[in-house]
Amino acid sequence: MPVSVKHDYPSEADETLVKWAQQGDTEAFEQLVFRHRDKIYARALMMMRNEDQALEYSQEAWVKAWQRLVQFQGESSFATWVTRIVINLCLDQLRRQKRVRTESIEAMDEESGGVERQLPAPETNPTAGLEQDELRRRIDEALGKLTDAHRTVVVLHEFEGLEYKEIAKRVGISIGTVMSRLFYARRRLAFLLQSLKRERSE
Amino acid sequence: MKNTEQLLDLQAYVDGELTEERRRQVEAALPADLDAQELVAGLRQLGTLIRTHEPEAKVPASREFYWSQIRRQIEAEQPKAPAASVALGWLRWLIPALGVAAVAVVVSTRPVPREITLAGGGDVTDVDVSSTVFRSESDGVTVHWIQ
Repeated sequence: MPVSVKHDYPSEADETLVKWAQQGDTEAFEQLVFRHRDKIYARALMMMRNEDQALEYSQEAWVKAWQRLVQFQGESSFATWVTRIVINLCLDQLRRQKRVRTESIEAMDEESGGVERQLPAPETNPTAGLEQDELRRRIDEALGKLTDAHRTVVVLHEFEGLEYKEIAKRVGISIGTVMSRLFYARRRLAFLLQSLKRERSE
Repeated sequence: MKNTEQLLDLQAYVDGELTEERRRQVEAALPADLDAQELVAGLRQLGTLIRTHEPEAKVPASREFYWSQIRRQIEAEQPKAPAASVALGWLRWLIPALGVAAVAVVVSTRPVPREITLAGGGDVTDVDVSSTVFRSESDGVTVHWIQ
């Protein structure tokens, strides 16, 4: 007669849960989803700037993660692995909507027409004195003011830690374009955060 | 004011993307270039600020609801519920086994041909109830009756 062992899923490490999930244990997988769902959703939301799409793609990412679970060998953390899946889904969608590669004439001009003009250099400590949560919210707001193309390179570089070459490959643009988009995006962010400082001091 | 190439070069320096040789050149030039120093410091500051205040968000759905949708998709795209896979496993073996059994039944119930020796030196082989074969060795002929 088979003996059923009841696991204490919440107290187990990701590595153990992944191992069990790889053997078909959906409860272990559910625990992983519960543990990392906010992070995966947040990344999708940052990329898409749309709650419905973020919800949809984050769930799709989990489905794909389950289907590809045997391929996960632990080279990165499980959360990082699923984050890459959701990023790829978002990139596919942005590409389909032509939101990453094709930008408006204005945006293209920003990239190629002298990134140094108009915007100030990032200022040291532009947000001193802000509460952490408020600061997070304002950074999110500033990211939301970037175009999809500019925000994508910031997300991939700053939050995912990808190198220029890897970003170029994933987005389907040249390394030079990655560099100019990143530079423009940073200056724009610095500008937006600087105006926040001015706004507070008034 | 620096040109675009110089600015992107300084950014690449901050991001650790320059070659070793180019990195040394930039570092050698930095002490005498206040604009470059300011830009490098600003880019570093901004990077740290963003990374340490990564925007957060919570799934706008209960754990049960969120998971139930994922589980439904998993089951729909990959019907791997234990009961289903056991049944499918049996079917995988059962179908060929039934095929082999059917062939065995046909072969075993097939009438064994009976040969009848005729007076004229020929043989009659009773293949089945609906056909009869007459073969005459002396004449070198074979005749099939199909009834």
